[in-house]
Amino acid sequence: MIKKILIVDDSPVARKILRSCIPKEPEYEFFEAADGQAGLEKFKEFTPDLTFLDITMPVMGGLECLEAIMKVDQQARIIMCTADIQIKSLERALNLGAVNILKKPPSKESVLKILSEVS
Amino acid sequence: MPDHQESIISSDEIDILQEIMNIAFGKASADLAEYIDIFIKLSVPDVRMIPAAQLPSYFAEMVGERERVSIVEQKFWGKFNGYALLVFTSGAESELISILSCEDPDLFRDEPIDDLAKGTLMEIGNIVVGACVGKIAELLNDVMAYSPPVVLLERSVADIIPDDMFNSADSAVILNALFCFENREVNGMLVLLFSQASVVWLKKALSEFMEQYA
Repeated sequence: MIKKILIVDDSPVARKILRSCIPKEPEYEFFEAADGQAGLEKFKEFTPDLTFLDITMPVMGGLECLEAIMKVDQQARIIMCTADIQIKSLERALNLGAVNILKKPPSKESVLKILSEVS
Repeated sequence: MPDHQESIISSDEIDILQEIMNIAFGKASADLAEYIDIFIKLSVPDVRMIPAAQLPSYFAEMVGERERVSIVEQKFWGKFNGYALLVFTSGAESELISILSCEDPDLFRDEPIDDLAKGTLMEIGNIVVGACVGKIAELLNDVMAYSPPVVLLERSVADIIPDDMFNSADSAVILNALFCFENREVNGMLVLLFSQASVVWLKKALSEFMEQYA
């Protein structure tokens, strides 16, 4: 059951777009962070059920953040949400423990599909 | 944000442009990475609006005043117009030739080195500029036409912006994405420049882009 959702992306526009694609369910509680380091801290503080993580970010990139989160919680459900669709980026993310990839810009359908798969 | 920029394009619009450039350059780098089979590390795009007269100093700061660069320059136009500049620091062209020849030194043995460098940069430029500008146009509901690319080898940073590119009294919107190839000595940046005349249409297109996510 997903209740707490963390969105880590340096772009406020990307965070807004993603939130607009997530169904307006009253049980969802959202947390946001603007870089990987802040995302890691929010993850530790709020232990989200699902985390959307951008790859290209300042301070700490998404892959580094993903690796750090998986050390904290090997069961963490992380969706890499990225415009960087290089095969090697996607392979690295999945090898580090991401459960899925959400291509930017997301659509309501693609987000709904991911939510149904991880619920 | 400087007053100059805020008066013409808002910080919210800059944020939207940054995300659009992020998406478009992600597409372009994926296309190029697939073509050359090398991982391309990307940076967060820099988006800003500055007086056109300050463009030379912007590039001097980004690249280094004394650096030599090779440039692929292409104009594009649709409902908005601009220039794409793919800029590589010195030495990148020989690395790119090596990559495109699959490390086979005999493959292009009979080609003059300058022709080979120009052809290589033109090929890379076509992929990167076409994919990036094409994706921006798609996201903003436009269709682009392109001029043939012009390649300039081993130039000074001052040559990145030709004197006739902008009226110095105008402003220019800069979308700049830095990149490097993993385990290779290839560093560069893709810069898209829009003239002040494109800003009115651009603001409308950005607003329409965000409406679908309201």
